[in-house]
Amino acid sequence: MRPASLGHGVGLRREHFERVLSAPTRIDWFEVISENFMADGGRPVDVLDQVRARYPIVLHGVSLSIGSTDPLNKPYLDRLAALARRTEPAWVSDHLCWAGVGGHYAHDLLPLPYTEEALRHVVGRVDQVQEHLGRPIALENVSSYVTFRQSSMPEWEFLAEIARRSGCGILLDVNNIYVSSRNHGFDPRAYVEGIPKDCVWQFHLAGHADKGKYLLDTHDHPVPDPVWELYALAVERFGAVSALVEWDDRLPDFERLEQESLRARQIEAGILHPATAGASHPKAAAGEAAP
Amino acid sequence: MSGPSTLSRTESLFWDLITAPEGVRPGLDALVRDGRAAQGALEEMIAGDDRLPAAERLDIYANMYFFRLLDCLREDYPRLATAVGEDRFHNLCTDYLLTHPSGHPSLRYLGRRLPEFLAGHVVGRESGCLVDLARLEWTRADLFDAADARALTREDLARLSQEAAGDLPLRPVPAFRLLRLDHDAPRLWRELRDREAAGPETPGEGGAATGTETAEATWGAGAANAARLGEETDGARCASGHVHDDRPAPPLPRQRRRKTAVRVWRREFTVYHRAVEDEEAALLELLTEGTTLGQVAQRLSAGRSQAKATEALGRVLQAWIDAGLLAVEPR
Repeated sequence: MRPASLGHGVGLRREHFERVLSAPTRIDWFEVISENFMADGGRPVDVLDQVRARYPIVLHGVSLSIGSTDPLNKPYLDRLAALARRTEPAWVSDHLCWAGVGGHYAHDLLPLPYTEEALRHVVGRVDQVQEHLGRPIALENVSSYVTFRQSSMPEWEFLAEIARRSGCGILLDVNNIYVSSRNHGFDPRAYVEGIPKDCVWQFHLAGHADKGKYLLDTHDHPVPDPVWELYALAVERFGAVSALVEWDDRLPDFERLEQESLRARQIEAGILHPATAGASHPKAAAGEAAP
Repeated sequence: MSGPSTLSRTESLFWDLITAPEGVRPGLDALVRDGRAAQGALEEMIAGDDRLPAAERLDIYANMYFFRLLDCLREDYPRLATAVGEDRFHNLCTDYLLTHPSGHPSLRYLGRRLPEFLAGHVVGRESGCLVDLARLEWTRADLFDAADARALTREDLARLSQEAAGDLPLRPVPAFRLLRLDHDAPRLWRELRDREAAGPETPGEGGAATGTETAEATWGAGAANAARLGEETDGARCASGHVHDDRPAPPLPRQRRRKTAVRVWRREFTVYHRAVEDEEAALLELLTEGTTLGQVAQRLSAGRSQAKATEALGRVLQAWIDAGLLAVEPR
């Protein structure tokens, strides 16, 4: 079942710890990188406890490696389960990718071939993870730079089928859809329209870098207009879904990040409650500065 | 069923190519030479186009792989990176990652074997003090998120009767280590920090005094995993291969061997280190094994008058309590 929307959040990054703890924010919720808080003590753990006392949080991992052909890492799952028990997140998410093989980790989000074999493999592992954690998880589409010749279905069909067969949620990264659409030449709207309406638990919004021959998912820029436009399309299709702005490098001050989140809120309101929200559809608000 | 699955073969080839030190295409050539892949294996796996051929597409992952891990190691070993210079650090990390690719889901552990690796590496053999510097830096990074514990305070001690005080168990907080080094790494650490603060034009050899000094970490030690895994890369470099530059590399630091004991600990959220004299080092060793206040007092009484022993005990206890180094509860 799709969880109720948490509203509009941002990724909690250490550069903003002091600001977030020292004064109220206009942020509804925070997403934290699970691996950064799987510690025995120290400041990250202390900060997480304080943030959790004030806001809903979502645990977002980068090393589950759900698509790897290595066995699932049980000690990692144990730590994730313990972190989830301690923090009671609204949900736990990770990426539809593999992070390593042969016992090694790339610390990257590596793409899968979209085949029936990979589908069965991932679904089986999602079942194991959900059983281990005692809760459903959400999986996020990643930005990709390669297309496997063996792929037999488009990415959105692969993602939707995993959600359908395993019961997991979808964390729909709108920026990743846009980046991949440019890198592979597909219509990003077809991706959004190919995802079942009731499976999407969360959106991600972020910026990327134009490297000339391709777009790189860098999270070091404001959310660009094409991604806002795709977000608006997603809101039209999926309704009120928890939306989160990610910004990891060249971080601005917290207030600038907050503005990005408020812009997402305004766009959602403009679509779902146009009578009260004013003109805030990104197309209607072309050229308008973020609120 | 026999043999690896298609998915398994795909992931293995993908992995071998993105972690090849010289980049994807030379990596494939090496696999072909070894009989582990066919010449057309890359194009059979990845669909390229005129804009971005298959090898260039995979090189995006190869660059992200190496530079992300390089950034992580630089974050855990900032002084080592300064000491050896950018290119040497790049090449050291290349060699390290080939021998010790990450085997843990968290980047936090990536650099844990660098000190021992450096000891056998040409850079470490040329400049032994760098190995001890690396040991110090890793210990600092390692303690950053060690378990918390309430530290013993003067008030805790004041509440004890004199009889009970002798039996007081003394143990260090979990975020404590005693290092036994062959060089004065704290001095080198301090000199490098000063060099960083002064900017790149300042000559490397500082005139810092020898002896002990508490050194403070800035918040931020410890590599963080990130959701975004794309990295800005330096286009002048090839994947994770060695770099060679016409500019002369900075001279490696030289230090005579000098046995140095260093206590490293975290108080609240800041990691400190301090070189200690032999007597304190011996007491700290006693502490890590588990001791009592009475036993520490007994150790200090050897060769001292009672008045001097009492004074020494007071000095040691005060220093440890002020540093937040003693735990209230045994671990």
